[in-house]
Amino acid sequence: MRILIVDDEALARAFLAEQLADIAGMEVVGQASNGFEAVKRAEELAPDLMLLDIQMPKLSGFEVLELLGPARPGVIFVTAHDEYAIRAFEVHAVDYLLKPVDPARLRAALERAATRLSSHATGLSPPELSRLARPPGHALERVVIRDGSRVHVLPVEQIDFIEAQDDYVEFASSGKRLRKQQTLAEIESQLHPTRFVRIHRSFILNIERLVRIEPYAKDSWLIILKDGGRLPMSRTGYARLRELIG
Amino acid sequence: MHPIVARRERLLLYLGVWVAFGALLALVLAFNRDASLRWSLLFALPLSVLLGAQALWCWYLVRVLPPGAASLPRFIGTWLGVGLVSLAIWVAAGLGWRSALGSFGAPGGPAAAALTPILLFAGSIGLLVSVLGHYMVAAFEVSRDAERHALELRVLAREAELRFLRGQLDPHFLFNGLNSVAALIGSDAAAARRMCFLMSDFFRKSLGLAAQQSILLSEELALAETYLAIEQVRFGERLRPRFEVSESTGALLVPALVLQPLVENAVHHGVAHLLEGGEVKVSARRHAGLLELAVENPCDPERPASRGTGLGLANVRARIEVLFGNRARLDVVSEREHFRVLIVLPATGASGG
Repeated sequence: MRILIVDDEALARAFLAEQLADIAGMEVVGQASNGFEAVKRAEELAPDLMLLDIQMPKLSGFEVLELLGPARPGVIFVTAHDEYAIRAFEVHAVDYLLKPVDPARLRAALERAATRLSSHATGLSPPELSRLARPPGHALERVVIRDGSRVHVLPVEQIDFIEAQDDYVEFASSGKRLRKQQTLAEIESQLHPTRFVRIHRSFILNIERLVRIEPYAKDSWLIILKDGGRLPMSRTGYARLRELIG
Repeated sequence: MHPIVARRERLLLYLGVWVAFGALLALVLAFNRDASLRWSLLFALPLSVLLGAQALWCWYLVRVLPPGAASLPRFIGTWLGVGLVSLAIWVAAGLGWRSALGSFGAPGGPAAAALTPILLFAGSIGLLVSVLGHYMVAAFEVSRDAERHALELRVLAREAELRFLRGQLDPHFLFNGLNSVAALIGSDAAAARRMCFLMSDFFRKSLGLAAQQSILLSEELALAETYLAIEQVRFGERLRPRFEVSESTGALLVPALVLQPLVENAVHHGVAHLLEGGEVKVSARRHAGLLELAVENPCDPERPASRGTGLGLANVRARIEVLFGNRARLDVVSEREHFRVLIVLPATGASGG
């Protein structure tokens, strides 16, 4: 099996590489010390499996998986202590290892991963997994978006609104639009429930950006944004907004 | 909102007191001025309630003129002026009420000349008691607020202690440290051994220090140095600790573990999020009877605004507030790429000087 090791600590990478060297059939094809590098290496090297740290600078392990898309390699998460992540892994049978990594457990996890790879088992989507791994009450902090070879990291407070298009969503942020393959419902479930509100079948609004509401027609309204933009609001959207801002 | 009007039961009690006052006035009138009891009650009760309504204004003046806020002449002058005006209004209302009663078929009251002195006397007493009463209510509210504030601080301090006790066994720190030891054993046994010593040193010191209220700054700094040395094994070149400590500060006393949470924040919320890492700078200097402690670090300009600085900072703030009140402060300067926490404490030595 061809393996990519992703961890921001050099010592932790060396330790995994050393252990993998002792296991027959395992080849470490590369290492990455942060999320951006991990995405790049995974695409260049197309490994069978990643040993993926969760907490890293710039991008978390979950975000790396999300950016790699459906053609990503298999993954075993490696973490020292992430109470909620571990609970989510247990519940959804996601492979993980705890630091310090025990060689016997590493072997077992690799064997399991090998059988999974051949059976093409599909699990939860990475955003869903990352939502489950967060402590209760912690909403999504940023959105990662692929734009060709570029990666945008958009903090949620910079989002003005989100619009659903055919099979993707567009994030509007200070006049720019960033496109991502995701459903509006999935994004909605991850955002902070009192800072973002679904005002329409196709729109989620950052409440901070709201200036005023104007009636438009029967059972529909217009939202006026700080930058002068306008968004439609449905009757259900109006009810949701009223509930939040009273 | 006026504290008496704000609550129904208080308003009823207040009204009761003035009705009693009115009854008393009626008795005085009936026995001293030869008025009928019926006339006296009819005259005194509404008038007394009017005085009560007038006296409600005291509250606003009590708020503007708390004891000690103004000079004594101004204090007395203001009250005297307001009091005399209120009294004049009330006496005038009383005389008006007397003639109104007369023309509505309830004659039998005393002459206006006989009534005026007694009204002046009763009105002065009523107003004086109201002013004193309002000051008592105000003092009671102030002391209750102070008590509640003190209680809140005590609760915060307790939480800080608990949090700190848990923090000692920070599982992330412990397991990552052990992972480093496991990794080093294969490649550099001497370094692995050093790491074991550093970790035992850290846990032993922090366990010992936790029991104490205040410790020498030199001890606090030694703990921070050990902590950073351990994290440096993990982070390697990415973590660069720097200490700038003026010599005269080592023997000063500080609350135990006042710096530790800040140093941990600097690593976990600062340097750990940077690809190239950065410098964690701890400085201490003495300046005009004050001890200034600072922890600073570079940070990710794209960090989400929602990412807090942890409970550590809030707890340190609460602890120094409990210990020093307004003689100490904690300032946070959060810039785009730089984070700095400054703590200023009174400089006290081990001998208490």
